[in-house]
Amino acid sequence: MSSTLTTNKTQDFVSNIAENKLSLWNELTAIRESGLKALSHLEFPTTRDEYWKYSRTTKITKNEYQFKPIPTPSINLSQVRIAGLDTYEIVMVNGFFNEELSSLPKNDVLEIKSFEECTTEELTSYFSKNLDTISNFFSALNTAYFSEGIMIIAKGVSDKPVHLIQYSEGDKVISQPRNLFVTQKNAELSIIKSSMNHNTFNFFYNSVNEFFIGENSHLHYYNLQNYNQGIQVISTNVATQEKNSTFSAYNYTLNGDWIRNNTNVFVKGEHCESNLYGAYQPKEKQHIDNHTIIDHIMPNCESNEHYKGTVTDKATGVFNGKVFVRKDAQKINAFQSNNNILLSNDATMNSKPELEIYADDVKCSHGSTSGQLDEEAVFYLQSRGLSKDSATALLIGAFLGEVVEKIRIPELKEKVLEMYGME
Amino acid sequence: MISIKNLHASIDGKEILKGINLEVKAGEVHAIMGPNGSGKSTLSSVLAGNEDYEITEGSVDFLGEDLLEFSTEERARMGIFLAFQYPIEIPGVSNMNFLRTAINETRESRGEESIAAKEFLAMVKEKSALVELDQSLLKRYVNEGFSGGEKKRNEIFQMAMLEPKLAILDETDSGLDIDALKIVSHGVNTLKNKDNATVVITHYQRLLDYIVPDFVHVLYKGKIVKSGTKELALELEEKGYDWIKEEVNA
Ligand SMILES: Nc1ncnc2c1ncn2[C@@H]1O[C@H](COP(=O)(O)OP(=O)(O)O)[C@@H](O)[C@H]1O
Ligand SMILES: [Mg+2]
Repeated sequence: MSSTLTTNKTQDFVSNIAENKLSLWNELTAIRESGLKALSHLEFPTTRDEYWKYSRTTKITKNEYQFKPIPTPSINLSQVRIAGLDTYEIVMVNGFFNEELSSLPKNDVLEIKSFEECTTEELTSYFSKNLDTISNFFSALNTAYFSEGIMIIAKGVSDKPVHLIQYSEGDKVISQPRNLFVTQKNAELSIIKSSMNHNTFNFFYNSVNEFFIGENSHLHYYNLQNYNQGIQVISTNVATQEKNSTFSAYNYTLNGDWIRNNTNVFVKGEHCESNLYGAYQPKEKQHIDNHTIIDHIMPNCESNEHYKGTVTDKATGVFNGKVFVRKDAQKINAFQSNNNILLSNDATMNSKPELEIYADDVKCSHGSTSGQLDEEAVFYLQSRGLSKDSATALLIGAFLGEVVEKIRIPELKEKVLEMYGME
Repeated sequence: MISIKNLHASIDGKEILKGINLEVKAGEVHAIMGPNGSGKSTLSSVLAGNEDYEITEGSVDFLGEDLLEFSTEERARMGIFLAFQYPIEIPGVSNMNFLRTAINETRESRGEESIAAKEFLAMVKEKSALVELDQSLLKRYVNEGFSGGEKKRNEIFQMAMLEPKLAILDETDSGLDIDALKIVSHGVNTLKNKDNATVVITHYQRLLDYIVPDFVHVLYKGKIVKSGTKELALELEEKGYDWIKEEVNA
């Protein structure tokens, strides 16, 4: 395939989307144009690209998509609400903010507003400041054609978590939410993101969240991915941390046909803590891909990364975790591990933990395991009267439970345990 | 209760059990002794339904049923209990949680109601006291970080909770000091009644001072080569196994 041909394909894909009228076109022309410019010389990623080696995007790129705002959707939010937990709620529908369904804070600590309400200065000081829009096709696509976005600014310790609910519906619809999450000095905030999709067919969800974790602030981001059929998901989260801050991203994938998560953390201050946890359990023909980067630029920091998954039937799991420790980043403790259980002979797991260390005084470890369920343990439990299914479920629960236990909000932990059928 | 006839079993094409015959009646205690590698653990695994072993010949009747037709969990629910020689650790699975599931699935299979939380806790309290197993251990993950003795006591505790008809204790005494041995034996003796039966597999006569067997069998090279009463155990203690090996190999 010649590159001109591919480029034409990209152009078609992009110009089709570009016919849609999107908000903030004028206000953010410069920024959108940086994305457009990147797109003009980017091609669809193929499996020849190292970054996309195990994840084919042809299911996405073969389609023509439309944006589809639904001003008055009927959504039953009780499905995703967390029992016993009071939260602020932001509802986005097909990538567009729905203020009516949302319940926003009315206090000085937490400011939540749509991009429309942001000053140009607010937007330009954060938007795309984090992101590599030059080499990543889908991030560039979001930058050029994001549908709408929310900005959250935490100025202190938030009294409640924020629950961000992303609702998707429609046939050949593209949703490209773009959000900016800022925790200012000494602030603390938890954000829970839930997904809902209904009647989706060839739906393409391509979200980008940028996180700016200010000095001595702490942000915990919980991403619950529990999708029905008919949606392809690329979820990109990029964070920068300033000194003494904590950023934790928890990614729990329960269901989804095709999911690619990119979680990238740039640690730009000393004495930071970064935690990335994830659990996934692809089954049938599902494809779940987690790519992460932790970039230690400054000394005296700690990062913990633990992803665990079970792969069943003909499903595929992908894990790629890169940890960089830059030349000046001495005294770094960086731990990374990825453990997998393959529950069928046709299940595939591609796991690649990578460590690139340019400093000499560091403590780093990384490792990856892929194995079968412990048959001896299954037998032990069966010999006490448990059915094979219960024994297997208990053992899987024990296995994935380790990363679910990391959740710091008890009500949420309950909910996630329940979703995984653990309790 | 159980009647084993001409049982042959192999693993990876290698025959380990070469025609076992054994009859155990309700209310009885049988001891199986024998040198290392003679097939004692294999016999218990096969009876518990471990599918790694292939049964090539023979039959096992348990309470009128063809035991070999049943899965491991079905056998457990019918009343077979195996106290493992090497109880494994299962990180992430709590002792209490899995036992409760075990009891409830067993009850469900019998068409009984599931156990009430209060009843379960009372039972845990009583049965753990029986084997002097610290209740805090039960809240932990199965055998994780348990000492050798604690693991063995946990096996007997589980037996007490599950109230089996036939308990097979595979070298439950090995690695126990004399005090622990007394505790474990006391537990086993307390659970004994006229309707259940116990098979104790052991290396040492010592255990049989505390759990007194009605019959003693010697398993050697996959066969029961000698049976007798408790005096046989004493004789083995005194003379070792060489005279039996000679008899068999002659
Ligand atoms: N997984 C296995 N594969 C091959 N041989 C085995 C396996 N397990 C046990 N054996 C063999 O079976 C024989 C009996 O073992 P076992 O039943 O453990 O003996 P005992 O409990 O009497 O010491 C031994 O020779 C042992 O090496
Ligand atoms: Mg043995």
